[in-house]
Amino acid sequence: MLTDYVILAAMWLFGIAGFFLLIPRNNRRKGILSFMVFQGIIWLCDMPSFKYDLLSAPVRVLPKATDLTITINYLFYPVLFSIYYVNRRVNSSIPYRIIYYLFWVSSITLFDVILERYTNLLEYGRITWSGMWIYIGFIFFVSVLICNWFYKEELIRTKGSEPNDH
Amino acid sequence: MTTEFWILLSAYIISTGILFFIPKSKLRLAVVAFLLKQVLTFLLGLVVVEFGLIEYPVRLFPTINRTSFTFEFYVFPVICAAFNVWYPNGRSVLFRFGYYAGFCTVMSIIEIILEKHTDLIKYIHWDWYLTWITLFLSFFIVHLLCIWFFKGKTA
Repeated sequence: MLTDYVILAAMWLFGIAGFFLLIPRNNRRKGILSFMVFQGIIWLCDMPSFKYDLLSAPVRVLPKATDLTITINYLFYPVLFSIYYVNRRVNSSIPYRIIYYLFWVSSITLFDVILERYTNLLEYGRITWSGMWIYIGFIFFVSVLICNWFYKEELIRTKGSEPNDH
Repeated sequence: MTTEFWILLSAYIISTGILFFIPKSKLRLAVVAFLLKQVLTFLLGLVVVEFGLIEYPVRLFPTINRTSFTFEFYVFPVICAAFNVWYPNGRSVLFRFGYYAGFCTVMSIIEIILEKHTDLIKYIHWDWYLTWITLFLSFFIVHLLCIWFFKGKTA
Protein backbone atom coordinates (compact mmCIF):
# COMPACT_ATOMS: atom_id res chain seq x y z
CA MET A 1 0.00 0.00 0.00
CA LEU A 2 2.75 2.42 0.92
CA THR A 3 4.67 1.45 -2.21
CA ASP A 4 1.61 2.36 -4.28
CA TYR A 5 1.48 5.85 -2.84
CA VAL A 6 5.20 6.31 -3.30
CA ILE A 7 4.79 5.38 -6.97
CA LEU A 8 1.87 7.81 -7.30
CA ALA A 9 3.94 10.60 -5.78
CA ALA A 10 6.85 9.70 -8.06
CA MET A 11 4.55 9.89 -11.11
CA TRP A 12 3.45 13.40 -10.14
CA LEU A 13 7.02 14.43 -9.51
CA PHE A 14 8.52 12.93 -12.65
CA GLY A 15 5.51 13.96 -14.71
CA ILE A 16 5.82 17.64 -13.81
CA ALA A 17 9.63 17.59 -13.93
CA GLY A 18 9.58 15.72 -17.23
CA PHE A 19 7.29 18.28 -18.77
CA PHE A 20 9.60 21.14 -17.92
CA LEU A 21 12.90 19.35 -18.57
CA LEU A 22 12.18 17.31 -21.67
CA ILE A 23 10.13 19.85 -23.59
CA PRO A 24 12.21 22.71 -24.97
CA ARG A 25 11.16 26.17 -23.87
CA ASN A 26 10.29 27.34 -27.35
CA ASN A 27 7.97 24.37 -27.76
CA ARG A 28 6.09 24.85 -24.53
CA ARG A 29 2.85 25.85 -26.24
CA LYS A 30 2.96 22.78 -28.41
CA GLY A 31 3.68 20.72 -25.33
CA ILE A 32 0.67 22.09 -23.51
CA LEU A 33 -1.65 21.62 -26.48
CA SER A 34 -0.62 17.98 -27.02
CA PHE A 35 -0.88 17.39 -23.27
CA MET A 36 -4.45 18.69 -23.22
CA VAL A 37 -5.53 16.84 -26.35
CA PHE A 38 -4.23 13.51 -25.06
CA GLN A 39 -5.79 14.13 -21.67
CA GLY A 40 -9.20 14.82 -23.16
CA ILE A 41 -9.07 11.72 -25.38
CA ILE A 42 -7.81 9.30 -22.73
CA TRP A 43 -10.36 10.54 -20.23
CA LEU A 44 -13.15 10.14 -22.75
CA CYS A 45 -12.00 6.61 -23.65
CA ASP A 46 -11.44 5.54 -20.05
CA MET A 47 -14.96 6.44 -18.96
CA PRO A 48 -16.57 3.53 -20.87
CA SER A 49 -13.51 1.29 -20.30
CA PHE A 50 -13.78 1.60 -16.56
CA LYS A 51 -17.56 1.40 -16.67
CA TYR A 52 -17.50 -1.90 -18.54
CA ASP A 53 -14.76 -3.35 -16.35
CA LEU A 54 -12.00 -3.46 -18.91
CA LEU A 55 -9.75 -2.22 -16.17
CA SER A 56 -9.91 -0.59 -12.76
CA ALA A 57 -7.72 1.37 -10.40
CA PRO A 58 -7.99 0.15 -6.79
CA VAL A 59 -5.50 2.65 -5.34
CA ARG A 60 -5.93 6.18 -6.66
CA VAL A 61 -6.07 9.86 -5.84
CA LEU A 62 -9.49 11.37 -4.92
CA PRO A 63 -11.03 7.88 -4.53
CA LYS A 64 -14.45 9.16 -3.46
CA ALA A 65 -14.90 11.42 -6.46
CA THR A 66 -13.89 9.05 -9.21
CA ASP A 67 -12.90 5.46 -9.93
CA LEU A 68 -10.60 6.60 -12.70
CA THR A 69 -6.94 7.12 -12.09
CA ILE A 70 -6.15 10.82 -12.12
CA THR A 71 -2.41 10.41 -11.66
CA ILE A 72 -2.03 8.31 -14.78
CA ASN A 73 -4.74 9.76 -17.00
CA TYR A 74 -4.71 13.36 -15.97
CA LEU A 75 -1.01 13.85 -15.63
CA PHE A 76 1.48 11.10 -16.35
CA TYR A 77 0.50 9.66 -19.72
CA PRO A 78 -0.45 13.06 -21.16
CA VAL A 79 3.01 14.33 -20.20
CA LEU A 80 4.62 11.32 -21.85
CA PHE A 81 2.56 11.96 -24.97
CA SER A 82 3.53 15.62 -25.11
CA ILE A 83 7.20 14.65 -24.76
CA TYR A 84 6.68 12.19 -27.61
CA TYR A 85 4.87 14.72 -29.77
CA VAL A 86 7.18 17.66 -29.28
CA ASN A 87 10.40 15.69 -29.73
CA ARG A 88 9.41 13.64 -32.75
CA ARG A 89 11.24 14.40 -35.96
CA VAL A 90 8.74 15.70 -38.44
CA ASN A 91 10.88 15.36 -41.54
CA SER A 92 12.19 11.87 -40.96
CA SER A 93 11.35 8.83 -43.08
CA ILE A 94 8.13 6.92 -42.58
CA PRO A 95 9.78 3.72 -41.20
CA TYR A 96 11.64 5.83 -38.65
CA ARG A 97 8.42 7.53 -37.61
CA ILE A 98 6.62 4.20 -37.27
CA ILE A 99 9.43 2.78 -35.14
CA TYR A 100 9.43 5.91 -32.99
CA TYR A 101 5.67 5.62 -32.52
CA LEU A 102 5.78 1.89 -31.75
CA PHE A 103 8.67 2.41 -29.36
CA TRP A 104 6.67 4.90 -27.30
CA VAL A 105 3.40 2.98 -27.37
CA SER A 106 5.16 -0.28 -26.45
CA SER A 107 7.16 1.32 -23.64
CA ILE A 108 4.05 2.82 -22.10
CA THR A 109 2.20 -0.48 -22.45
CA LEU A 110 5.09 -2.26 -20.75
CA PHE A 111 4.99 0.30 -17.95
CA ASP A 112 1.23 -0.17 -17.69
CA VAL A 113 1.57 -3.97 -17.50
CA ILE A 114 4.23 -3.70 -14.81
CA LEU A 115 1.98 -1.39 -12.78
CA GLU A 116 -0.83 -3.90 -13.19
CA ARG A 117 1.25 -6.87 -12.12
CA TYR A 118 3.24 -5.49 -9.22
CA THR A 119 1.10 -2.73 -7.72
CA ASN A 120 -2.53 -2.00 -6.86
CA LEU A 121 -2.61 1.10 -9.01
CA LEU A 122 -4.12 -0.71 -11.96
CA GLU A 123 -6.06 -3.93 -12.27
CA TYR A 124 -6.93 -5.36 -15.66
CA GLY A 125 -10.42 -6.78 -15.92
CA ARG A 126 -11.34 -7.94 -19.37
CA ILE A 127 -8.48 -6.22 -21.13
CA THR A 128 -5.20 -8.05 -21.79
CA TRP A 129 -1.76 -6.60 -22.36
CA SER A 130 -2.24 -6.82 -26.11
CA GLY A 131 -5.57 -5.06 -25.79
CA MET A 132 -3.88 -2.35 -23.78
CA TRP A 133 -1.21 -2.02 -26.46
CA ILE A 134 -3.88 -1.40 -29.11
CA TYR A 135 -5.80 0.89 -26.75
CA ILE A 136 -2.79 3.10 -26.03
CA GLY A 137 -1.75 2.99 -29.68
CA PHE A 138 -5.23 4.14 -30.68
CA ILE A 139 -5.26 7.03 -28.22
CA PHE A 140 -1.77 8.07 -29.38
CA PHE A 141 -2.82 7.93 -33.00
CA VAL A 142 -5.99 9.98 -32.54
CA SER A 143 -4.13 12.56 -30.45
CA VAL A 144 -1.39 12.89 -33.08
CA LEU A 145 -4.03 13.42 -35.76
CA ILE A 146 -5.72 16.19 -33.78
CA CYS A 147 -2.44 17.93 -32.91
CA ASN A 148 -1.27 17.71 -36.53
CA TRP A 149 -4.53 19.22 -37.69
CA PHE A 150 -4.12 22.05 -35.20
CA TYR A 151 -0.62 22.95 -36.35
CA LYS A 152 -1.23 22.41 -40.02
CA GLU A 153 -4.04 24.94 -39.98
CA GLU A 154 -1.75 27.33 -38.23
CA LEU A 155 1.01 26.81 -40.77
CA ILE A 156 -1.33 27.71 -43.59
CA ARG A 157 -2.65 30.71 -41.74
CA THR A 158 0.73 32.20 -40.82
CA LYS A 159 1.85 31.78 -44.41
CA GLY A 160 -1.14 33.86 -45.53
CA SER A 161 -0.90 37.49 -46.48
CA GLU A 162 -2.65 38.89 -43.42
CA PRO A 163 -0.71 37.98 -40.31
CA ASN A 164 -2.95 40.05 -38.06
CA ASP A 165 -6.15 38.55 -39.32
CA HIS A 166 -7.49 36.21 -36.73
CA MET B 1 -35.36 10.95 -13.66
CA THR B 2 -36.96 11.71 -17.00
CA THR B 3 -36.82 15.47 -16.50
CA GLU B 4 -33.13 15.25 -15.66
CA PHE B 5 -32.52 13.07 -18.67
CA TRP B 6 -34.13 15.60 -21.00
CA ILE B 7 -32.18 18.46 -19.43
CA LEU B 8 -28.89 16.61 -19.94
CA LEU B 9 -29.81 15.75 -23.50
CA SER B 10 -30.78 19.32 -24.34
CA ALA B 11 -27.56 20.55 -22.69
CA TYR B 12 -25.63 18.39 -25.16
CA ILE B 13 -27.70 19.56 -28.09
CA ILE B 14 -27.49 23.26 -27.23
CA SER B 15 -23.72 23.08 -26.55
CA THR B 16 -23.11 21.29 -29.82
CA GLY B 17 -25.27 23.90 -31.52
CA ILE B 18 -23.09 26.68 -30.11
CA LEU B 19 -20.04 25.04 -31.67
CA PHE B 20 -21.50 25.51 -35.14
CA PHE B 21 -21.68 29.28 -34.65
CA ILE B 22 -17.95 29.59 -33.96
CA PRO B 23 -16.31 31.25 -36.96
CA LYS B 24 -13.79 29.08 -38.75
CA SER B 25 -11.02 31.64 -38.33
CA LYS B 26 -11.33 31.33 -34.56
CA LEU B 27 -11.54 27.57 -34.43
CA ARG B 28 -8.10 27.14 -32.90
CA LEU B 29 -8.80 29.70 -30.21
CA ALA B 30 -11.98 27.79 -29.42
CA VAL B 31 -10.10 24.49 -29.22
CA VAL B 32 -7.48 25.91 -26.86
CA ALA B 33 -10.08 27.59 -24.64
CA PHE B 34 -12.13 24.37 -24.58
CA LEU B 35 -9.17 22.21 -23.58
CA LEU B 36 -7.79 24.64 -21.01
CA LYS B 37 -11.17 24.82 -19.33
CA GLN B 38 -11.43 21.06 -19.35
CA VAL B 39 -8.07 20.67 -17.62
CA LEU B 40 -9.20 23.12 -14.95
CA THR B 41 -12.77 22.00 -14.31
CA PHE B 42 -11.96 18.33 -14.35
CA LEU B 43 -9.57 18.47 -11.45
CA LEU B 44 -11.44 21.13 -9.48
CA GLY B 45 -14.76 19.38 -10.03
CA LEU B 46 -13.30 16.17 -8.65
CA VAL B 47 -11.80 17.97 -5.65
CA VAL B 48 -15.13 19.64 -4.87
CA VAL B 49 -16.92 16.29 -4.93
CA GLU B 50 -14.15 14.52 -3.01
CA PHE B 51 -14.53 16.95 -0.12
CA GLY B 52 -18.30 16.65 -0.17
CA LEU B 53 -19.09 20.23 -1.11
CA ILE B 54 -21.37 19.43 -4.04
CA GLU B 55 -23.20 16.31 -5.10
CA TYR B 56 -24.53 15.29 -8.51
CA PRO B 57 -27.23 12.66 -7.82
CA VAL B 58 -28.20 12.19 -11.49
CA ARG B 59 -25.20 12.00 -13.81
CA LEU B 60 -23.53 10.21 -16.66
CA PHE B 61 -21.33 7.19 -15.84
CA PRO B 62 -22.80 7.16 -12.31
CA THR B 63 -20.96 4.05 -11.08
CA ILE B 64 -17.45 5.26 -11.77
CA ASN B 65 -17.56 9.04 -11.63
CA ARG B 66 -19.28 11.20 -9.02
CA THR B 67 -18.82 14.50 -10.83
CA SER B 68 -20.95 15.87 -13.61
CA PHE B 69 -19.34 14.52 -16.76
CA THR B 70 -21.75 16.49 -18.94
CA PHE B 71 -21.02 19.82 -17.38
CA GLU B 72 -17.31 19.48 -16.71
CA PHE B 73 -16.26 17.62 -19.81
CA TYR B 74 -18.46 19.24 -22.40
CA VAL B 75 -20.91 22.03 -21.57
CA PHE B 76 -18.65 24.28 -19.52
CA PRO B 77 -15.69 23.97 -21.93
CA VAL B 78 -18.00 24.82 -24.84
CA ILE B 79 -19.28 27.90 -23.01
CA CYS B 80 -15.69 28.87 -22.29
CA ALA B 81 -14.79 28.48 -25.94
CA ALA B 82 -17.69 30.76 -26.86
CA PHE B 83 -16.65 33.19 -24.12
CA ASN B 84 -13.17 33.56 -25.60
CA VAL B 85 -14.24 33.56 -29.24
CA TRP B 86 -16.62 36.46 -28.76
CA TYR B 87 -14.57 38.23 -26.10
CA PRO B 88 -14.93 42.01 -26.53
CA ASN B 89 -11.29 42.89 -27.13
CA GLY B 90 -10.66 46.61 -27.24
CA ARG B 91 -13.74 47.59 -25.26
CA SER B 92 -13.59 49.48 -21.98
CA VAL B 93 -12.68 47.72 -18.74
CA LEU B 94 -16.21 48.23 -17.49
CA PHE B 95 -17.69 46.59 -20.56
CA ARG B 96 -15.36 43.62 -20.28
CA PHE B 97 -16.16 43.24 -16.61
CA GLY B 98 -19.82 43.26 -17.53
CA TYR B 99 -19.11 40.55 -20.10
CA TYR B 100 -17.56 38.38 -17.38
CA ALA B 101 -20.32 39.18 -14.92
CA GLY B 102 -23.00 38.42 -17.49
CA PHE B 103 -21.64 34.94 -18.20
CA CYS B 104 -21.16 34.15 -14.51
CA THR B 105 -24.56 35.47 -13.49
CA VAL B 106 -26.53 33.63 -16.15
CA MET B 107 -24.70 30.38 -15.43
CA SER B 108 -25.15 30.77 -11.67
CA ILE B 109 -28.86 31.42 -12.08
CA ILE B 110 -29.25 28.31 -14.22
CA GLU B 111 -27.34 26.30 -11.64
CA ILE B 112 -29.50 27.61 -8.80
CA ILE B 113 -32.65 26.65 -10.70
CA LEU B 114 -31.25 23.18 -11.35
CA GLU B 115 -30.25 22.88 -7.72
CA LYS B 116 -33.71 23.84 -6.45
CA HIS B 117 -35.84 21.90 -8.87
CA THR B 118 -33.90 18.89 -10.15
CA ASP B 119 -31.58 16.13 -8.95
CA LEU B 120 -28.80 17.12 -11.29
CA ILE B 121 -26.91 19.03 -8.61
CA LYS B 122 -27.17 19.38 -4.84
CA TYR B 123 -25.27 21.92 -2.77
CA ILE B 124 -23.99 20.45 0.50
CA HIS B 125 -21.38 22.90 1.77
CA TRP B 126 -21.72 25.31 -1.08
CA ASP B 127 -23.53 28.50 -2.02
CA TRP B 128 -24.45 30.39 -5.13
CA TYR B 129 -21.84 33.11 -4.62
CA LEU B 130 -19.10 30.45 -4.50
CA THR B 131 -20.30 29.27 -7.89
CA TRP B 132 -20.21 32.83 -9.19
CA ILE B 133 -16.70 33.50 -7.88
CA THR B 134 -15.22 30.21 -9.09
CA LEU B 135 -16.79 30.70 -12.51
CA PHE B 136 -15.35 34.20 -12.71
CA LEU B 137 -11.89 33.06 -11.67
CA SER B 138 -11.82 30.12 -14.04
CA PHE B 139 -12.93 32.30 -16.98
CA PHE B 140 -10.24 34.80 -16.03
CA ILE B 141 -7.47 32.19 -15.76
CA VAL B 142 -8.39 30.55 -19.06
CA HIS B 143 -8.60 33.92 -20.79
CA LEU B 144 -5.12 34.87 -19.58
CA LEU B 145 -3.75 31.51 -20.68
CA CYS B 146 -5.35 31.91 -24.10
CA ILE B 147 -3.72 35.31 -24.52
CA TRP B 148 -0.39 33.76 -23.57
CA PHE B 149 -0.92 30.82 -25.92
CA PHE B 150 -1.55 33.03 -28.93
CA LYS B 151 0.92 35.72 -27.96
CA GLY B 152 2.89 37.03 -30.90
CA LYS B 153 0.35 35.71 -33.36
CA THR B 154 -2.84 37.51 -32.42
CA ALA B 155 -3.91 40.44 -30.35
